Amino acid sequence: MPGEEPPPLAELKVVDFSWAVAGPMIGRTLADYGATVVKVESGRKVDTARLIGPYHDGRRDTENSALYDNCNLGKLGLALDMGHADAPAVARDLVTWADVVIESFSPGVMGRWGLDYASVASLNPRIVMLSTSIMGQTGPQRSLAGAGNIGSAMSGFQHLTGWPDLPPFGPYGPYTDFVGPRFSLCLLLAALDQRRRTGEGAYLDISQAETAIHLLGAQLAAYFAEGVVAEPGGNADPDWAPHGVYPCRRSHADEPGWIALSVRDDESWRSLVAVAGHPEFKDPRFATAAARHALAAELDDLLGQWTSTATAEDLEVRLQATGIPASVAASSRAMLDDPQLATYGHFVRVKHPESARAAIQRGPFHIDGIPPRLDRVAPSLGRDSRLVLCDLLGYSADRADGLERSGALR
Amino acid sequence: MTWPGPDSGAAATAPGSGYLGPYRVLDLTDERGLLAGRMLADLGAEVIQVEPVSGSSARTLSPRNSAGESLAWEAYARNKKGVTCALGTSAGRDLFLRLVAVSDFVIDSTEPGRLDELGLSYERLAAVNPRVIQVSIHGFGALGPKSGWAVSDLVLWAAGGALYPHRQLDRPPVRPSVPQAFLLASCDAAGAALVAHFARERSGAGTHVEVVAQQSVALTTLGRVLAYAVGDEQDVPEAPVRAPGTVMIDTSLSGSATGRSKWPVADGFMELHLAIGPAGGPWTNRFLRWLADQGAIDRDIADTDWSALPERLLSGEIDEAFLERARTAVGAYLARHTKRQILDAALAHRFIAAPILTTKDLAESPQLRERDFWFEVTASSGGSLAMPGPYARASNGAFTMRCAAPGVGQHNEEVYGAVLGLEAPTIEALAADGVI
Repeated sequence: MPGEEPPPLAELKVVDFSWAVAGPMIGRTLADYGATVVKVESGRKVDTARLIGPYHDGRRDTENSALYDNCNLGKLGLALDMGHADAPAVARDLVTWADVVIESFSPGVMGRWGLDYASVASLNPRIVMLSTSIMGQTGPQRSLAGAGNIGSAMSGFQHLTGWPDLPPFGPYGPYTDFVGPRFSLCLLLAALDQRRRTGEGAYLDISQAETAIHLLGAQLAAYFAEGVVAEPGGNADPDWAPHGVYPCRRSHADEPGWIALSVRDDESWRSLVAVAGHPEFKDPRFATAAARHALAAELDDLLGQWTSTATAEDLEVRLQATGIPASVAASSRAMLDDPQLATYGHFVRVKHPESARAAIQRGPFHIDGIPPRLDRVAPSLGRDSRLVLCDLLGYSADRADGLERSGALR
Repeated sequence: MTWPGPDSGAAATAPGSGYLGPYRVLDLTDERGLLAGRMLADLGAEVIQVEPVSGSSARTLSPRNSAGESLAWEAYARNKKGVTCALGTSAGRDLFLRLVAVSDFVIDSTEPGRLDELGLSYERLAAVNPRVIQVSIHGFGALGPKSGWAVSDLVLWAAGGALYPHRQLDRPPVRPSVPQAFLLASCDAAGAALVAHFARERSGAGTHVEVVAQQSVALTTLGRVLAYAVGDEQDVPEAPVRAPGTVMIDTSLSGSATGRSKWPVADGFMELHLAIGPAGGPWTNRFLRWLADQGAIDRDIADTDWSALPERLLSGEIDEAFLERARTAVGAYLARHTKRQILDAALAHRFIAAPILTTKDLAESPQLRERDFWFEVTASSGGSLAMPGPYARASNGAFTMRCAAPGVGQHNEEVYGAVLGLEAPTIEALAADGVI
């Protein structure tokens, strides 16, 4: 019966050394489904996600980042200065306690702390350790550091986002930070299932750039098959026309309006012509897909003249009513107001010590009978150090006090 | 089936191995979900693509080769077996349910309601196999006012909030030129299947799972779509246009809001963001000091601590002219050097800069070759091609790179014969009747 079973990952113990987005999003999902995830962080160099907005109430503070909260919901926070003399013993106890270790440092950093896979596995042979980095742990370019924009460049996505007549633009945000954790999660759960059956631990070496290259797999196959090099095409599609983003009348003074629409075939085009009621569209020159592709610049211009007379909200309803895929290009305001996202509970208010308006995003899985647990706000720095040391690792109060006094828990 | 050759560089292992070797997946997806089953197949699961008798609509998906064959099909249906089954007939439905009875997962990307109309609701599947996990990939979702809306990748990218903020100059907002929304949802579907699998190991029961592409896109915006909900007005500008005289304070490592991190170089473009603030400032400091050592930039710029710039910009102590002076010097230096030279310097001197690679560059990448990244296959049409192979390195046999994407009904005999135990005459009769 729903609500009575423990969550699916209830017995999973995770030590999460990772930071920013690509690593932490793995642990976020694990925590959503019941895992105990201990986030290890140091005040000497806080998680960079804390330094990136948006911020609750617009107030910039390392304890007030909605991005950080989104990536670390449900985790326990241990403050540990890995450079402190007392830290290695604590770290060894953590990896001995854990089923899973996640880290996203530059290759070699964990090794310098005696926490490379071989060392961890000698303490805990069943450990499943996952390292996620831009380029992977091996190879001549493994030390290339940076955030997802570097990954986007190294994975082909910078080149493939933008307009043919302009310099490359690249995808929105650090794209490989979003792709890496999705592949990481699948691999990690599969490794854990394998461990359940065989008792074997594993070391998993994820390159975020490589995972994103998988989302260009078709384009790579096209290159190897016939030497075709993929090029950016704005919002165009090789098969559908028209297919693009057009300006609309504003619904809000401070937000430009845009409608995205895509016409699959000639029949769909005729539906659009009927909706638009503009005589120019009835021109037989536009009747076939081949023609609409060839005349794309002219057609996009004409479409923009039509779309500019209405709001995007009005247009999307009218086009969808005839079966033409169309949508407002949603701003964050539009996202919050979207009844479709509300149906799925996408935006979730969380009880936050710093802000009454704090919110995070629900994860993408909707599993019947197994709701994610979304009520434990991401940890402030060291919020749960005591709990982790004493309740999870079994340290005495004296020992925990000693670590506090020595300065290791910062 | 074609085993990868010795030069494919991928770990070829026998069927039944890989992390997910014990499991069987029925894959009903089309162009809206192919990758999900493939991620499980890559890890060793036996994934059976169940197509209409005339073949999946995904077999026409761009990019296509000069013979009109889909490379997207080749890339996202590889490692799978292929059978045909006319789900719209009662015989086809019964045949499919017999497969469900001996399978662990069913993945579909059918529009909401359609499988119910065919008599293949989740309840029907669970009746023949209470352990089955069904994962449905939808555009807007099976619930809600937009459940019947028409979908396309561009439209989901727009509805998911990743399109609106992404404008180059005065152009309309732009998406990646290669469609991503359903690919991201497919990745999420694979993960969701495994979370439900963990639940099944405990409870013994399967369940129905839904993944919604609009939401998958919304989770690909660096939390930007949260800005309005949390009341961060500064984070909701009309990017990148802003009032003259104001300074864009972008303290991210990647500089996505600033949008000025692409530099022309001698043989293409480089990605390099002159980051300010605590996250990126130290990297910029190292880069600029290296530039100053080359004599390519004024010392006062290189000696500034870029970590502390946000406050100094907001207070007006430092202005845009300083930033532009830095940019001019950086641009002049980069323009005289190649992608390889700058990458080598970045690796050697620990600053952040990357060449903007094309698919040709990727195919020639020494890094990917060293990592055994590529998987070579002989396509069912006979041509040879390569594609991304394992999506990670693992210490024990995680992946099985087995075979090229299947031809239409290529494994009908194998699956209906060996898995369901049907005799050859029965299979022939099903084919003659158009059931398979």
